[in-house]
Formats: sequence, C-alpha cells, structure tokens
Amino acid sequence: MSQASRAKQITDDLLRPLLHTTWKFYLGVSFLSCFVLAGLAAWGYQMYNGLAVTGDNWPVFWGFHETNFVFWIGISDAGTLISAILRMVYAEWRRPVTRCAEAITAFALTIGAMFPLVHLGRPWFAWWLIPYPSERGIWPNFRSPLTWDFFAINTYLTSSLLFLFLPMIPDFAIVRDRTTGFRKKIYSWLALGWQGYPKQWHRLELTMHIMAIAIIPIAISVHTIVSFDFSMALVPMWHTTIFGPYFVAGAIFSGIAALIIAMAVLRKTLHLEEYLLPIHFNNLGKLLFTMSLLWGYFVFNERLTTWYGNEPSEMAVFWTTQIGTFAPLFWTMVFCNFILPFPFLAIRKLRTITGCVIASCGVVVGMWLERFLIIVPGLSHKPLPYSWGSYMPRWPEITIMVGSFAAMILLYTLFSKVVPIISIWELKVGEHYEHQAAKALGAAEEAGEVV
Amino acid sequence: MKAIYGLYSSPLEAQRAVDGLRGAGIKDREITVLSTEPLEEYEFAQRDRESWMTWIAGLGGLIGLTTGYLLTSVTQKLWAINTGGMPIVTNWTNLIVIFELTMLGGVFASVITLLITARIPGRPVVPYDPAISDGKILIGVANPRKESIGSLEKALRIGHGELKTLT
Amino acid sequence: MTHRWGMAVDLDRCTGCEACVTACHAENNIPTAGPEEAARGRAKHWMRVERYWEGEFPDVSAKFRPVLCQQCDNAPCEPVCPTYASQHNEEGLNIQVYNRCFGTRYCANACFYNVRFFNWGNPEWEKPLNLQLNPDVSVREAGVMEKCTFCIQRIKAGEINAEAENRELKDGEIKPACVQSCTANALVFGDLNDPESAVSRLAESPRGTKLLEDMGAKPKITYLLRETWHESSVKS
Repeated sequence: MSQASRAKQITDDLLRPLLHTTWKFYLGVSFLSCFVLAGLAAWGYQMYNGLAVTGDNWPVFWGFHETNFVFWIGISDAGTLISAILRMVYAEWRRPVTRCAEAITAFALTIGAMFPLVHLGRPWFAWWLIPYPSERGIWPNFRSPLTWDFFAINTYLTSSLLFLFLPMIPDFAIVRDRTTGFRKKIYSWLALGWQGYPKQWHRLELTMHIMAIAIIPIAISVHTIVSFDFSMALVPMWHTTIFGPYFVAGAIFSGIAALIIAMAVLRKTLHLEEYLLPIHFNNLGKLLFTMSLLWGYFVFNERLTTWYGNEPSEMAVFWTTQIGTFAPLFWTMVFCNFILPFPFLAIRKLRTITGCVIASCGVVVGMWLERFLIIVPGLSHKPLPYSWGSYMPRWPEITIMVGSFAAMILLYTLFSKVVPIISIWELKVGEHYEHQAAKALGAAEEAGEVV
Repeated sequence: MKAIYGLYSSPLEAQRAVDGLRGAGIKDREITVLSTEPLEEYEFAQRDRESWMTWIAGLGGLIGLTTGYLLTSVTQKLWAINTGGMPIVTNWTNLIVIFELTMLGGVFASVITLLITARIPGRPVVPYDPAISDGKILIGVANPRKESIGSLEKALRIGHGELKTLT
Repeated sequence: MTHRWGMAVDLDRCTGCEACVTACHAENNIPTAGPEEAARGRAKHWMRVERYWEGEFPDVSAKFRPVLCQQCDNAPCEPVCPTYASQHNEEGLNIQVYNRCFGTRYCANACFYNVRFFNWGNPEWEKPLNLQLNPDVSVREAGVMEKCTFCIQRIKAGEINAEAENRELKDGEIKPACVQSCTANALVFGDLNDPESAVSRLAESPRGTKLLEDMGAKPKITYLLRETWHESSVKS
C-alpha cells in the first residue's frame, strides 16, 4: 500500500466519527445532559439557600465538594503529563494516545476548577482572587495556599488547553478540506488558515517540544500546590511533608486509570480497533501497575511513621481510618487501589484490554475514596476531643458529584464528535517512521549487518 | 496562470520533483511545499528550520519571573498586613507564585512566536489543493513566468505526480 | 503605648454555668441554630464551655473549661485566608473582616482550637427577638466566617471614650460581654502591655497554662488550673 493511500485510509477512518452520527450518540448525549442539568440545578439550589443544605458542619468544614475538587484536579494531572513525557522520550506508541490523554486533562481540569466555586460560601466574590487594583483595598494574600491554587490551576489550564489545541490545528485543516457548507466554515475558522508548508510544521513541532518540557513541571507543581491546601494546616495527619509527592503520584495514578477507561470506551464506540491496539493498553497497564506500587509505597510510609510516632492527636485519626468509623472505606480503598489491580496488571496474560479496564475502574473508585479519607477523618478528629464530629453527605453534594462525572463523559463524547480523537497527522508521521525503520532494517539485513 | 503544481503520492517522488524544479532554475523560496504531515527526514522539507523560539521562550520565562517577583514582594510591602506572625514579605511562599508565572511566561512566549512566525491565523498560500488531505504532497510554483511553464511542467512530471494548474 | 489585649480564665472559679455563652450570643448577634441544625453540627458558640467526664461511677468528676478564640500571636488561621479576611491588628487581636470573607473555610480547618464558625445560612430571629439585636455589631450574612472578637466594639468604645475624656484607660474598664456576665468572676480581661494590670499578673501565675501550648500558636489566654489539678500534675 503506497504512503498516500495508507494516509488516506487513516484519514477516512479517523474522520468517520465526525462525519457519521448514529442515534446512539444522541441518546447518550441526552442521557448525560439530564444528569449535568441536575447537578447544575443542585448547585443553584445550594447557592440560593446557603451551604446549610450540604452535610458540611462544625468541625468538618470540608466534605464532598473538596474531595471532588482534588479528585478531578488529580485526574487532570496525568493526561498532559503522560502526553508530554512520552513526547519527550520519543516513545512512538504514544501517537494514538496523546490526544485522548490531553482531552482528559482539559475536561477534568475544567470540571475540577469549578469546584472551588462550588464550595465557596459567597462564590459571587470569587474574582477577588485576581490581583487587580482596587480602591477598596481588595488584594489576594500570596501567603495563602488557596491563592497559590488560583495561580497554579490557571497556569495549568491555560497551558494544557494550548497543548491540546495547537496540534489539533493541522487536523482541523484536514476536516476543513473534507467537508462542505456550514461545517467547512466552522473548521476553516478553527484551522486558523493552516496550510502545511515546512516552516509551519517546524514551528508547530518546536512549540510542542518546548511546551512538553514546560508542562511537566507545571503539572507536578499543580497537584503539589493542591496538596498544600492540606499540608499547610496543623490538622492531625494533614501536616506531613509526604503530601506533595503523595498527591502527585496519586494524581498520575488516577489519571492513567481514567485514560485507560476512556480509550477502551472510544475503541468500542468509534470502532477504532485498528488504532487503539492491545499493545497500547498493555503499556499503559504497565504504567498503571508502577503507579499502584508507588501508591502503596506512599501509603505504607505515611501509615508507618504515624503509627510509630504514636502522637495522640494523630493516632486518633489513624485508628478511626484503620478500625473505626472510616475503616470500611479505608479497606475498600486499599482493595480497589492495590489488591484488585495487582493480578490484572502484573500477570501478562491478564493484562488485556478488559483486565486493564477492570483494574482502572477499581482505581478510579479507590482514588476518590482516598481523597475523601484524607479530608474528612482528619477534620473530624482535631486535637480537642470536645470538638470531634462526623460527616454525612446530603443530596446536593451527591447530585453535584454525579453531575460532574456526567459532565466529564458528556464533554468527552462531544469532543470526540467534533475533533478527531486520534491525532491524524501524528499517526501518519508514526506510520512513515515505522516504514522507514522497516526499510532500514530490511536494507541492513540484506547487507548482512543484522542477523 | 496563478500557479502550476504537482500532487505526489510519496515523499521520494516529491523530492525528485523539487530537485527537478531546482534544475529548471527555480529558487527554493519560490517552491511551494504543502503536506498534511511534517516530513522531517526529507531534504525538501528541511528549510526554515532555524528558529529563535527557544530563546524567546526563555525570555518569556524571565519576564514571567520578574513579574511574579515584583507582583508578590512589592505589593506585600505596600499593603503590609500581619498574618500569623509571618514576615511581611514571605519569599518562600512567593516562590510558588513566581514559579507559576515564569512557566506561564515561557508558554505564552512560545505560542505567540508560533502564531507570528507560522502566520496563523493567516491568509491562504497559493497554490493550495484540498487533495493533500488525502495524503498527497503538493510541490508547485506560484505565478510562474510564461516562458518557463514548459520547463516547469517537465520538472514536475519527473516525480510521476498529477500535474495541475491554477488560473 | 499600644495595648495588647489578653484574658485569664480561672478554672478554679469557673462553675460551668454558661452565663458567658449566653451573654456572648446576646452581645454579638449570634443566632441560635435550632434543634435540627444543631443536630447537624451547626451550632455556633463563640464562647463555649467544654465538658469532659473522667473516671467511672461513683468516682466521676467533670472537668470543664471555657474555650474562646485564643487571639494567637502566631495564629494558624491568618496566613491561610486568601483574601486577608483574617488578620492581626496592632493591638494583638486576630480580627475577622466580614466584608472580605467569601467563605473558603480554610481558617476554620487550620484553627486547632476549633473556635471559628461559619454562617451556613442567613441568620434569622423569630419576632420579637429581632428587637434585641445589638446595633454596635454587624449581622453576618450566609457564607461568612465569624468568631470571638474580644468584643472589639466594646474595646473601641472604651478607647474612644478615654480619648474623648483625655485620659488613659483604667484596668478593668473594658469588659467583653463574657467577662461582664461571669457570675464567679472567673474571667479577667485587660492589657498585657501594662505590667500592673490584673491579667498581666495572672499571666505570670504558677497556676497559669496555655491551651495546646506546644502547637506554637502563642495564644493570649492564660488558663489558671484548679488547685486540685495543679497538685495532681505536680505530684506526678
């Protein structure tokens, strides 16, 4: 098959989801939209009636909303990070995976960035975090971790949206050339007049390379700064130096799991079996396994030092998670994050697409529980026992949470309908690298250099 | 005639066409090369590779760093509010904001350089043919001189491509 | 000379009657939560009396202490507020600026004394209790944090009066609502910068101790241990 006809086949396959829509798509979008609307309605209700409608109380001032905030920011960490790291080490298998990963980051981050607004007592004043000259003397406090959150999340959001959008430009040009009418107008506008001459390609690739290098420290800093929301306070089992690396590792862990699930669903629904191959899931599965071991290592570290130190306030929190009220959630978390994924990811025979998806579903649940178990037990057992308390979520928090999951799936579905979910030009480049490598190998074999 | 060009199915054919055009006396600057993927390994796609972008990104980072430093320490001194007995200008915590603004500066500088040097959003280049979205490579010359059309046609046919003209 | 307000709580005199709690509610326009909200953990008592039971029947004893904002010098609640709603003033008070607060509740988490409270909803007073509101104290709307201010409205009123009459403040002239209403005179309020004031002398007392002192917040409230507690801790 000639290069051009192979390229045409790739283009046809990857554009098919954009150009052909079935009733299943409309059904899915309607179904998800209901939950998203319910979540937004619940938020409106909460804003109107105040946070009294939630389960937050004295002393557990942070509950589901903050759990979801950390959870979604965590998921967002992995996508762009994986894409950037794989780009930098020239891992060729990353080509079909990068846009899926970057899209996960973009949407998870957008949703995660909504939750600070959801949890505020007076969210209509959230713009006070922006440093602007004000004759009323409003100015953000740069010593506060929440201000750092504002800068970090905005930097990461801007960078990852650019990181997602820039490589989409040549693909938009392809779609522009393949469509007619109204669609052609929209894609022409999105393609920003891209033509495809060498200077444009060189500049785009150089920008992607620079951004890949820049976005890795940004991604690591974002979740470290989110961890500072907890570690900067003298709450038992919050004030620990391990939180920075622990949160970043957990974020990458949950993000890879989300990516695996997203890729498996896309593969089935968009018929991408030729492009999202078992080897991709195998490789991501190995990464997920590494992160699971790393997560276990961090949890062991954290628990051992707490138990050995035997400090009374910390032990109160420790026991409540190990054998007390929160024990069922804690052990479920350990099962979901460590025990369940182990066989599916460690044993090569079981590391199939299905195996990886099962492990990933467990990880997503386990990591959500981990965020919850970091926040609530500590707050419910602060140093003065008179002020110990508990927490139960109520319907607004649960509805908003379900809405956020539906929003993620909905945004992703809409994205895959409007943008080729696998980067067409990057895949084509990969194919002709393979072609080159095969030719070179063939020539070397002929010349007797390779046995 | 506005342009004359050929559509080639493989980069090797395109390379032959470019060499043919050079042989016909056309300068590199006047040869249009269009494709829907970068063709890094081929000589004809190597031009315009040099760029100051990395340095500009570094400069952008430096601007971000300075902005971050001034934004935090100057305003903390101007509105000196005691919180928790901490020093008024807390350099350790300011490092965080400075870091984020540095990275943002680098990213913005790269993207702005991209937009300017790659001329996006920009005017369309002549010639352009949507057939390249099928994987073909376009090699052509815009506004050819009447006398040279013959030799250009010959040169473009060397690569066994589909010859087209734009009037 | 600037004042540095502090308090001493004599646990030997405190009877746990909670007159201070009630007075604080009345003075500072703190609404009652009602049984449903209180069951959900939303009760707000800027001044509360903590009670702990020790021992088995019949050798049970109650230990109680009034806990209010400790006005820490190294307050953990202050650096974490993103809008400077929680700051330290020149008189050593930790002030809560209601207008700047948009309710992140980080300060409440950071405070290990748990003396900060949140307005979960807009406050309501059933008629005719709304006529009882103190005009010197603002009513906080939903979404805003609040806590004990050492009755800053009374401090300011006292300082303004003294300046108007061109004299120094007398020790014991300013009394927050809790201090004023304590039936056993267990609460003493005054200027820690004045070495002759009652509170300065009590701060030096051998019975004196600070709550959660080892956490390093430098609280300005000195708790004077009960003689029996003091003896048992000295013995052991």
